[in-house]
Amino acid sequence: MQDLLYFSQQLINGLTIGSAYALIAIGYTMVYGIIGMINFAHGEIYMIGAYTALIAITGLTALGLAWLPLILIVALLCAMIVSSSMGWAVERVAYRPVRGRHRLIPLISAIGMSIFLQNYVHLAQGSRNIGFPALIEGGFNFSADGAFEMSLSYMQITIFVTTLVCMTALSLFISRSRTGRACRAVSQDLGMASLLGIDTNRIISATFIIGASLAAVAGLLLGMYYGSIDPLFGFIAGLKAFTAAVLGGIGSIPGAMLGGLILGVSESMTSGYLSGEYKDVVSFGLLILILLFKPTGLLGKPEVEKI
Amino acid sequence: MTTSLKKIVTAISTSVALLGAGHAAADIQIGIAGPMTGPVAQYGDMQFSGARMAIQQINANGGVMGEKLVAVEYDDVCDPKQAVTVANRLVNDGVQYVIGHLCSSSTQPASDIYEDEGILMITPASTSPEITERGYELVFRTIGLDSMQGPVAGDYIASQNPKRVAVVHDKQQYGEGIATAVRDTLKDKGVEIAMFEGITAGDKDFSSLVTKLKQADVDYVYFGGYHPELGLILRQARQADLDAKFMGPEGVGNKDINTIAGEASEGLLVTLPPSFDQKAENKSLVKAFEDKGEDPSGPFVLTSYAAVQLVAQGIEAADSKDPFDVAAALRSGSFETPIGNVQYDKAGDMKSFEFVVYEWHSDGSKTPVN
Repeated sequence: MQDLLYFSQQLINGLTIGSAYALIAIGYTMVYGIIGMINFAHGEIYMIGAYTALIAITGLTALGLAWLPLILIVALLCAMIVSSSMGWAVERVAYRPVRGRHRLIPLISAIGMSIFLQNYVHLAQGSRNIGFPALIEGGFNFSADGAFEMSLSYMQITIFVTTLVCMTALSLFISRSRTGRACRAVSQDLGMASLLGIDTNRIISATFIIGASLAAVAGLLLGMYYGSIDPLFGFIAGLKAFTAAVLGGIGSIPGAMLGGLILGVSESMTSGYLSGEYKDVVSFGLLILILLFKPTGLLGKPEVEKI
Repeated sequence: MTTSLKKIVTAISTSVALLGAGHAAADIQIGIAGPMTGPVAQYGDMQFSGARMAIQQINANGGVMGEKLVAVEYDDVCDPKQAVTVANRLVNDGVQYVIGHLCSSSTQPASDIYEDEGILMITPASTSPEITERGYELVFRTIGLDSMQGPVAGDYIASQNPKRVAVVHDKQQYGEGIATAVRDTLKDKGVEIAMFEGITAGDKDFSSLVTKLKQADVDYVYFGGYHPELGLILRQARQADLDAKFMGPEGVGNKDINTIAGEASEGLLVTLPPSFDQKAENKSLVKAFEDKGEDPSGPFVLTSYAAVQLVAQGIEAADSKDPFDVAAALRSGSFETPIGNVQYDKAGDMKSFEFVVYEWHSDGSKTPVN
């Protein structure tokens, strides 16, 4: 019983972090699916989302607002707006001018953008760790006769539920809406979609905006969950989310979700049963294995060379 | 006749030497190298503010051998790679004395360059024993060693009769070194070590670690590392209702841990150098800091002040500006500084330096624990 509780606790920890990875991974996977490039500045968009949310929360609290749901919703909206305009601007400034060139050029442009945004926040907000207020506290505790107590915090539940809602909304949007259909068309064949009268530039911008808003959601959630943010924290999270996207099959939205969860759980199980020191060894080892044996990822479609 | 001739010759050669060296030689450059930016910049603030104050006060009292000290500041972001770049820049700039670096992992590679290039280095903060273990002639410190701090922490934990203790570190030179010293002390005292494990510096999610600590049912957790990680561990441990006492080295003892951990930082135990700013003989110095609007209570403010003073006193004792002569003078002499009487052993460590256990409070204050 004791061991089971411990296992479930590590599972909860892993699923929490995994669903947040999935939210960030969507941005990587959608952009890749549509224009076949890896947006390395996406981790920074997530970081900017977290900073914006923190600024909004601090501002609202200073104004004397005390009703928590309102604070959270306003902070979330602010973060989503700032992040998605940032995502849109990054695409306009750094990717659109080099689109269609050799694959390496947009990649280098993306890395440059990532360094620029990191240092910009460094200068604007300082390089120190800033504490993020824990707005959602408390949770359920489960205990057997033993001393170990399993806990499921409201914050963790919030993360699961929000991720679930976002993912469902996104799937519906992609499968049902007109823009969603256009997205799918563009990802299948950009040239043909454009011939059929789809404004591909608008669709590409929409992809960046959707990815960035989901990253902003993750920024607010993880900021609250972890408790502190710094200008460099988008980099590692971005790397992990990118791994999740590749793991699940880059270009596939359910794949990003699956990849995120697998990555999160394998990380927490490694630190739980082996040692925290091996956490990154296992997650990136997993990535190498997948790339070796199933290069398209778990749910990715095999890429057929177009003639 | 001969003596006066000698005097004339000396006078002429000295003035020629001075002319040849140009304008810059009239000042003694003191390099201050530490993190101005980056996650541990607040320690850098302490270092820079202490060293600047010392330079200012020494200059106000007529300088060293009639020459003014000039501060040259460098930012190493507490990154070993940047520390090497900074060290090379110092060499290029012709600086002969360095106060720094701060983080052990920066000090270590930079000190190789200083030793090779004949630059005297005094670190006010790096506590890793390895820095002075290599038989270097020009490397000194005004702080104790992990091998002193670890046993103080280990002894304290052992004296509280804990059931089980976990020792966690950030896999960096400083954190792991000190954690190892704590573990060894505890083992010698027969305390059960339930866990000895590393985390990744810069990581944010410690929920798995906290769950593991809970499962291991520990009542004391020692963390070797810096405040950004421990702050989050404290906060996440509190959210998961982990009932254990946490302890850390001086790298966690600053007010930023309160902004990260909030209420969870209450009751944290920290080994720190004694509060030099509380000593009666330092009253006027403390006032000088306060008049400037600076806080002298940080652990590295007065150690940096003392480091500058030691360079100045060393130059005067050696009656020479050659770093090797100054190093020899520092090893043989005994110097009065705000951190007490300083005497150096052959390795460049202070012959005595004590650490004290403090209890940290959530408002950023601390009280000594007996």
